[in-house]
Amino acid sequence: MSTTSVSEWITEKREERTLHDWIQDLGPFVMLFGLMIIFTFTTEQFFTEGNLLDNVAKNAVTLLLVSLAGTFPILQQSIDLSVESIVLLTGVATVVLITEFGLGLLAIPLAIGVGMLAGLFNGIVFTKLKVPSFLVTLGTLSVLAGVGKIITGGSTITFRNPAIRTISTGDVLGIPNLVLWGLLIYVGTIILAFRTKFGRYCFALGENERVVELAGAKVDRYKIYPFVLSGLLCGTAGVLLTLRISSASPNIGSGLLLPSIAAIVMGGTALTGGVGGPHRTILGVLVIAVLNNGMNLLGVDSFVQEIILGLVVVAAVAMSIDREKIDVVK
Amino acid sequence: MESEIHTDAMDADRGSPTSGGDHSFRVEGISKSFRHVQALKDVSLAVDHGEVVGLVGENGAGKSTLLNILTGVLQADEGQLYVDGEPVTFTNPREAANYGVSLVHQEQDVITTMRGYENLYLGRERERFGVLEKEQMREEAQAFVDDLGINIDVDDYVRNYTFNERQMLEIAKAFHVSQKSENPVILLDEPTAGLEESGRKLLFDLVNDLRDRATFVFVSHELDEVLQISDRIVVLKDGERVDAATAAEATTDSLQQAMVGRETADEYYRIPDQQREADLGATTMSVEEVTCDDTVGPVSFSIREGEIFGIVGVEGSGKQQLGRLLAGDLDMTQGSVSVDGTVLQDPTVSDMVDAGVGYIPKDRKSEGLLLYQSVLVNTSLAMVRDMNGNIPLLDMDAEKEATLDAIEELDIKTPGPNALVHGLSGGNQQKVVIGRWLAQETPVLVMDNVTRGIDVGAKEEVYRLCRELTEQGVSIVFIGDELPEVIGMSNRIAVMAGGEFVDDPFDASPGNKPTEEDLIQEMI
Repeated sequence: MSTTSVSEWITEKREERTLHDWIQDLGPFVMLFGLMIIFTFTTEQFFTEGNLLDNVAKNAVTLLLVSLAGTFPILQQSIDLSVESIVLLTGVATVVLITEFGLGLLAIPLAIGVGMLAGLFNGIVFTKLKVPSFLVTLGTLSVLAGVGKIITGGSTITFRNPAIRTISTGDVLGIPNLVLWGLLIYVGTIILAFRTKFGRYCFALGENERVVELAGAKVDRYKIYPFVLSGLLCGTAGVLLTLRISSASPNIGSGLLLPSIAAIVMGGTALTGGVGGPHRTILGVLVIAVLNNGMNLLGVDSFVQEIILGLVVVAAVAMSIDREKIDVVK
Repeated sequence: MESEIHTDAMDADRGSPTSGGDHSFRVEGISKSFRHVQALKDVSLAVDHGEVVGLVGENGAGKSTLLNILTGVLQADEGQLYVDGEPVTFTNPREAANYGVSLVHQEQDVITTMRGYENLYLGRERERFGVLEKEQMREEAQAFVDDLGINIDVDDYVRNYTFNERQMLEIAKAFHVSQKSENPVILLDEPTAGLEESGRKLLFDLVNDLRDRATFVFVSHELDEVLQISDRIVVLKDGERVDAATAAEATTDSLQQAMVGRETADEYYRIPDQQREADLGATTMSVEEVTCDDTVGPVSFSIREGEIFGIVGVEGSGKQQLGRLLAGDLDMTQGSVSVDGTVLQDPTVSDMVDAGVGYIPKDRKSEGLLLYQSVLVNTSLAMVRDMNGNIPLLDMDAEKEATLDAIEELDIKTPGPNALVHGLSGGNQQKVVIGRWLAQETPVLVMDNVTRGIDVGAKEEVYRLCRELTEQGVSIVFIGDELPEVIGMSNRIAVMAGGEFVDDPFDASPGNKPTEEDLIQEMI
């Protein structure tokens, strides 16, 4: 009976809207507009069409795709730490498929397929061998980066194929293709999250796997899918990025993991799973993109930028974590 | 059916606030309620130095709540605790221990990766300049257990202890934490659960040997044992103290009557509405020799359209595992289940749901519901399985319709389909779990304690609902701890013990119901 009373107490608590709820809901908006206003007044270039579209938006797309990728495993209360290595591997694969294998457009789906395979591997090891996802993907983070770097031979590899490049570099009515791809995929992930069985199970698994299992769902399968999706989206990010700069360096993708997790959490997807969704991840992405761009324009030292980014991540997580749902933090 | 036993012992232990000095430990007029549930109502209890007092009652009678209050885990709404006649208040278990009151938990509460003496001193380690005095602790611990007559090696890791030795260690720990007190009060919560016969004997010998050094309160479901070890026995029922007797006067029967003590189950469960034998349809599910390792089986039975098949048994009899087995949640090592002609061997949950068997688990909070998702998400959780037709999108209209239907048919009191489930009352939450299976074709429902932890009104509604379902031809496997409920609801009742049916199921058709005593005899 004591359990009943405790949960009822929590219920009561939850029905009041706390300051914390407001911070969670409005925080990213306030931060985004706050930063934009600050940079508009402190720099001349920030609020220009050229800067916002060519720098902020284009740079944000890679982070957006990687963050959307990471959102789904987190929704189901696991995590994919290998995202940036998948970007690297698929980027390298794109160049190699075009140059070494002489493939044209076909290189794109194949490279994305490489990303999906990496995700499938993560998912299977996590689900079937019951290895915690953060360990599996921490391992593949290192493995896939190693593979990618070996293929590059340690230096930047390039290709020449202007026709294929336009997929990423072209524009429609003045809006860069890259940005359009980002928006298209963004909408796609929202549909996936809120209008499909896959998305429904993601949220449900994030809250209580046993309940989903006893309702008759093939749980293992649905625990693997988010990792495959993550591979697909990171693969797409890797391909688009490679097409944009027509090369893949051994460092492509590196440094995306931390800001992507920050963006996801800032957007309201809790690391404890079950709540949030990709629709708000974009807010976190924009905050980080604007912050990066603004600091660059202000000439902030890149090492200092690293410090600031790290602080933003910790602060975002601290603000958004739902402490009442957690008993023990390890 | 109040028992006739009313003795001096009962009067004596009611005591009076002024003359309580001779009692070592006494509680007066304890009441405790959780929201609308009155867990304890004006309960008084006194234990004399050197006494062993048995405390019995059905599940939910308030035993655990009382123990929690006695040890400071919970605080009473009303009432007062006295130690040696002095009023005391415990706000946590440590304070209770300072007055000598400690609890030996039902589930063993030892850390197996640590040594015996480390467990004994856990949380109260002896240190010198911040460094553990291991040698002293080890020596003192060994002397301490030797003195109690407990034969364990405190330097060994607890993982190497037998089950019985762990229990002994726990009792030693209870003495150890309350050693400041001259008169420890040791509360034993179902200490014999899981013990072998030899272990029980050891435990009883120990309690007998330590009688003059402590007071014991012995909580158990095994009435024989309570009678054997206790000087006096106190009976709780529905949060009230209904009886007390000396062990010499009480019998298992008299205790049983006092524990159950309610009207016969007829009417209460709307027996007149029960499906008659003649109205039952064809066999929907038949279970053939199903076995799960050594916990269940082999068990065989079949159930017909509109029938309610009750399963009872004590904790550990395998009834819960049988339910899980039928849900596909445990590995069926042998045997098969056929549902409407489809034969399934070692099915998964998904297979069973496909075949039309829905499972309602005992613990709805941890296994039944997504508490922080909406009523709609919870209700449609099973039906979404089939939503991947031509377009792989959820049929949101169908989901909403099914949810609104469930809300209306089951009378679920919720602000709306999008309200979160955690805000609903226990009864309404359970209706959501039931609604999940009604939202799709489910000819067989396996219910494990479906009315657990919901209030009387909601129980009534669940009974009514089960009756309505059987009228529509649904078959229900009704696993329950509350005998009157199972007797009232079921057409037939099987008693489980040791993973098997003890005998052929009882016929429980209206007018032909077995009594609780009939069932209990087979259960034990």
